[in-house]
Amino acid sequence: MVGLSPSLLALTFGLHITMVNLGIGLAWLVPYFKWRAERGEKELEAVARSLMRFYAATYGIAGVFGTAFTVFLLSYYPRFLGFAGNITMLPFGLSILMIALHFFSITSFWYGWDRWSKRTHQLIGALLALSATLIPLGFRAVFAFLNIPAGLGYDPETGKFYLDTILALTKNPTFIPLYIKSITAAFTATFLLVAGVYAYKYYTLSGKEKEVALRVVKTLAKPIGIGLGLMLVLGLWYAFSLKTTPYKFNNIFAPLGWRIRGGEAYFNTSWLFILKILLYIFQVAVVTLTLPKILRGKGSKTHGKLLLYAGLAALLTIAIGEYLNAFSQYPFFIAAWPDILANNLPLDKLPDYGVNIPQASLNTVINTVNSIALLENTKTTNKILERLGISQYFPSTSTVNEIAVEEPVVALTIGFLALLLLAAAYLVYILLTPAKKAEEQVPRTY
Amino acid sequence: MSSVAYWSSYPATSDRLLSFIGIEIHWAILQYVIGLPFMAFIALLLYMRSKDIVWKKLAWTLAKGFIIVFAVGAATGTASEFGLVLLWPNLTEAAGRYIYFPLYMEVFAFLIEVVFLYMLWYGWNRFSPRSLAVIAFLGFLGAWYSAAMILSVNSYMVAPTGIIPAYRPDGTYLYAEGYPKIAVYIPKDIIPLLNITALQDRAHVDVLGTTLDAVEVAIPVKVVQQLVREAWTGTILKNSILANFVNKTTVAKLTPDTVSVLAAKLGVPSAALAGQKTAVDMLLGVPVKNVLDYILITTVKHIGFATITFKSPVFPATFIHVIGSALTVSGFTVLAGYALRLLRMPSEADPEYKRYIEKTFKFAAVFAALAIAFQGFISGHEMGVAIAEWNPEKFAAIEGASTHIVSLSRLLHTDKIMPLIAYGSLSAKLPDYDMIPSNYCKCSLAGTPPVSDCRPPIFLHYVYYTKIGLAILLGLYGLVIALAVVRNRKPRDFWLKIAVIAPVIAQLVSTLGWVVREVGRKPWTIYGVMTVDVARTFNPAPTWQLALVAAFFISILLALIYVVYRLLWVPGKAENHV
Repeated sequence: MVGLSPSLLALTFGLHITMVNLGIGLAWLVPYFKWRAERGEKELEAVARSLMRFYAATYGIAGVFGTAFTVFLLSYYPRFLGFAGNITMLPFGLSILMIALHFFSITSFWYGWDRWSKRTHQLIGALLALSATLIPLGFRAVFAFLNIPAGLGYDPETGKFYLDTILALTKNPTFIPLYIKSITAAFTATFLLVAGVYAYKYYTLSGKEKEVALRVVKTLAKPIGIGLGLMLVLGLWYAFSLKTTPYKFNNIFAPLGWRIRGGEAYFNTSWLFILKILLYIFQVAVVTLTLPKILRGKGSKTHGKLLLYAGLAALLTIAIGEYLNAFSQYPFFIAAWPDILANNLPLDKLPDYGVNIPQASLNTVINTVNSIALLENTKTTNKILERLGISQYFPSTSTVNEIAVEEPVVALTIGFLALLLLAAAYLVYILLTPAKKAEEQVPRTY
Repeated sequence: MSSVAYWSSYPATSDRLLSFIGIEIHWAILQYVIGLPFMAFIALLLYMRSKDIVWKKLAWTLAKGFIIVFAVGAATGTASEFGLVLLWPNLTEAAGRYIYFPLYMEVFAFLIEVVFLYMLWYGWNRFSPRSLAVIAFLGFLGAWYSAAMILSVNSYMVAPTGIIPAYRPDGTYLYAEGYPKIAVYIPKDIIPLLNITALQDRAHVDVLGTTLDAVEVAIPVKVVQQLVREAWTGTILKNSILANFVNKTTVAKLTPDTVSVLAAKLGVPSAALAGQKTAVDMLLGVPVKNVLDYILITTVKHIGFATITFKSPVFPATFIHVIGSALTVSGFTVLAGYALRLLRMPSEADPEYKRYIEKTFKFAAVFAALAIAFQGFISGHEMGVAIAEWNPEKFAAIEGASTHIVSLSRLLHTDKIMPLIAYGSLSAKLPDYDMIPSNYCKCSLAGTPPVSDCRPPIFLHYVYYTKIGLAILLGLYGLVIALAVVRNRKPRDFWLKIAVIAPVIAQLVSTLGWVVREVGRKPWTIYGVMTVDVARTFNPAPTWQLALVAAFFISILLALIYVVYRLLWVPGKAENHV
């Protein structure tokens, strides 16, 4: 059973990351359709506009839940955040710069629609796409670090930890597959969802709009096929890279019979993996069965609906994939850490990952990392620690900031989160439904 | 020492400068998020009362303005948030652990802002005027609530709850007695291990009282900062200044089992003390961070984890001063916008348009004048009084109470009435900068912090008086314009042209105010608790990298200003927002 603080982190992160993935795809799609509209296919202007409006909403929701996640992390795990802040200047810094650039791009692209010259607007669109793709680079580097702390160093003279960013990126076997897989998943899921929406529209609209809807689906069909194919390869690549962290790997695959070092699952997350695979199969099946018919202009409304469900399933797959990645290392912030303590990952192997800790400082380093490595102290986690034989390394007191999980605070949090979800839903509703007729509106010329 | 050299002699110069740029950009924008929705709310109330469409148009224009700046503010806020984590991770950690509550609640304020500000914008044509007014009310309430949360944390950094200043207005300096001090609660299970007599005699620790589970003591800030330093640098008790104050009689009686129990209570894993042969060695192997954490968390619980930052003695004044600043900046900015419209008004302009511009200009002029009057006579005064009482070192610096500089307050003879303004009595005395020991924050046992002077830089005096001078000029200008429009006279073009630079001056005054507030706290990050060099990252980036980041942010800001200008001033195709 997972405790309150990881659950709230998971909830906010799940919503944040789903919206972010949608944003990455839309950051490419919107400028692309706008560009095609400017090159002659004027009907696609409306497509670009409506996708942009949806993008703005997902961006706002992603921002709010991202902020909530950061603040929850700070409040529940201040020590961990302090430690991470001290060593991750470059990867996080890169992401911040890209967030700023992305923000500039989205603001000027959206508000500057019809105000910039075509070329300027296209340039801003290119910045929008580029920055959206680069934001996850820094974040994924940190996620990869949380798999295995590649590039971590300790200077005994100053008593300080540091991160060699080059080693962190080049010596971490999980970084590249994780990043590429994330971006590919973002494109595939967004394209599938957008294609689903327009396939559905195709069967419900008439006239020119119907034709435009089909053109959108046709545009996205090939990338969807390629994306779904790539996901299989990239998923396997990432799974193989996780062999470096037996604890995490076994929690996913050992119950399915694929084990590392004869290990076992201490926190079984294979069911999440199975769910993810089932959703993936559903998407592949729907795409295979419905898309060819839709592209030929045949099929029925049911085909459109199915493709839309496949798009939603793709988004759900992303959330489940993130949960699988996070919870398969539960209750540890760093997946490789229990393996290091339990000697499944021998200390003399660490330099292979660019970890630079002098022998004489090992105790200091282990004690420091232990103080931030555990998510929580519950019956479940204590059992895991005992089975691994590493209980003695962790404090018996709460590892969660206890004043942040006082009952009134929790009640307040749940109440506000419920409101937040309702508000987000209402915002999307307002954005997607038509407004009053023009003559009823207040003049906006001033 | 030159002013700049003085300022840069404190640690982490480039980090401080980058933080200043990032946070100042955020603040410059946020003032509109605080001020414009409030103005829109007033405009909607006026519309409901008079049914004059002018007010609804004004509210719409203001909404158009704040919806853009809110989005920009949210992005700069995210950048600032990450900036704090990366440049000042140890401060962030301390804030997250002990004063997390307002930061946590701020997320929900952000939520209220997002929901209602966007609802006002996107739902403009879906709601009745009354509903729009309610939504605008909730929108500005969210922004003010957000400000209150963040400002409570900042106030705590300026004057933490429990701080006891080292100066009394009768001219008594208490530095020799170890002041300033900060009151904390030491848990009773730690007390027997400490030599209280030695702490009182040699470290100037005062026992203030006892509770069921703790003893309240006042500890000199020079000791507190050293303990915080030790905690964040991984020092164990053996190497701590606390080792000098151990009760040897009690410690000698300890057994490994009793130490293990205590260590577990302090959150020390058993493996961390493995290998220590005696109980004393085990005890001395405990990290200072665990002991300090136990004391601080006990203190926070005693004061109230949800209220501790709001109990900072400077919080109420800070809140109204900052809100006043935001209203002033917003008021003068709107005034500038409509002044420009008046200046560009063609002679054959639509009479309805002309009426709209004239009426909204009048509204903005009166609003700006009221805001700056409130700021000068009420909130600014309260802020000054709070600083005089709780930050005497800063107060001495901003008043230029030193014989080593040309003091503007002496030249203008305002130093004669300042005791009355600050302390409510002409017989009171201002703190003399030269009488404040330059080493008042230094722990003699450890020789920390690494600064040559614990006092805030004296050049703040000029910064402060520049700010006051500009604010007075702005106030006079606001008065002239307000008087003119109240008498239904159109100000001459000369006065209208001045209106265009008024928001720049208002922003400058606001910025200088923050410079005084933040630089005036140096070398502290949290006054009396944590110094700048401890709060900073242990792996600072080279100055050139930080300069590059600063240049990047400034470029983005300039580009955004241009985008906002294009949107607000350059006509586009008919807008179709919803």
